[in-house]
Amino acid sequence: MYLVNDIIALLAANLILMQALGTSTLFIAAGSRKNLIATALCITVFTTIGSAAAYLIDSSLPVDYDYFKLLIYTLTVSVMYVSMLTALYFTARENFERYRKYIHLSAFNCAVMGTLFTISGKAADDSSYMNIWSYVRGGLEAGAGFVIASLMLTVAYRKLNSSKVPASFRGFPAMLIYLGIISMAVYSLK
Amino acid sequence: MTKKQRKKLPERRLPEMNERRNSVFGGILGDNIVLSGLMVISPVIICGDNVRNAEALIYAFTAITFFSVMIASFVPKSIPYTLKVVIYAIISSLVYIPVRLAAEEYYPEAITRIGIYFPLLAVNSLIVFQTEARFFRMKKLRMMFTLIFCILGFDAVMLLTAVIRELLAYGTINSRMADADTLISGLSQPFGGFIMLGLMCGAYRWIRSAARREKDSSRSVTDVSGK
Repeated sequence: MYLVNDIIALLAANLILMQALGTSTLFIAAGSRKNLIATALCITVFTTIGSAAAYLIDSSLPVDYDYFKLLIYTLTVSVMYVSMLTALYFTARENFERYRKYIHLSAFNCAVMGTLFTISGKAADDSSYMNIWSYVRGGLEAGAGFVIASLMLTVAYRKLNSSKVPASFRGFPAMLIYLGIISMAVYSLK
Repeated sequence: MTKKQRKKLPERRLPEMNERRNSVFGGILGDNIVLSGLMVISPVIICGDNVRNAEALIYAFTAITFFSVMIASFVPKSIPYTLKVVIYAIISSLVYIPVRLAAEEYYPEAITRIGIYFPLLAVNSLIVFQTEARFFRMKKLRMMFTLIFCILGFDAVMLLTAVIRELLAYGTINSRMADADTLISGLSQPFGGFIMLGLMCGAYRWIRSAARREKDSSRSVTDVSGK
């Protein structure tokens, strides 16, 4: 029963289905299994490490300087972005060209930035979330939520892009409507 | 559209697509960033359920995107792509600060309602990734007009979505009572936003292809009469 509750909680807090964050990236990720794994992995790394960094920023940034939060988050994500590309270059130089696009795709993404701001907002509303574990868990949950939403879309991806769908609705429009229906089902679980 | 799909297209359509993409006015109808490019869709889906939110988002998006792209156009092209992306993101994060301060003066309530979508507008893919491909290959003046029409394209979609969703979900337009018999409260929810945007995307594509067919048929009539 705990597992069911956890799954429902994970779905109800899903950044894509409930907050539409990273939807366009999801459409790319759902295109193939390789895209899904690589994008989901990159996004999870960004959200998890980014969340830990966001905790340090939030706990040290005075409330009066809230305007600078975006700039500091951007700088943090930029450092991670360059570091990940550098790490990929030195560890898997032969695959660098093939995999760097996933890092480009994931870095400055609504799913990543949205996660950082969502967790930060949650901690501002409820001080019990103001600890590094809650931040990191939030980052991991966001990554897991992305994987779940991607899997749901992958299942129907081919059908939504098939010639049986009217040309005007084929692809993105059909995928948006499909996500809307899934989102409606998840909304009813809340 | 992927490179693979582009390869499959008949040769006749490729120049047309490039023409549409390069057109100054294309940002509104021909190549709308929301309906065609699916960029910056999360604020439209989540916050686009009433006109007051839409006004605040339009202001924020217009100011942040315009100034960020204009400033970013002065970044030297010789810098590596990764560093350029970082610089564009930092520029837009800096532009966000005065825009946010001004918004607190004019839209204090909307700031709370829009929440995280306000800062997220500053790191949208149009500024961070698409600027290179869309704008920086043009001359400054042409780029400025193209950018303005791109922004107007977003503004139009945002406003249209907000008007329809507010009318159908709450029975009001800009918080004033309207004569709506049937209310669909689900349209104010995120799932309503997804479905509404999907329907709008489909309608937009249908209109665009109908207009293209019309143009093609009028062209062929002209060709025949020319002969």
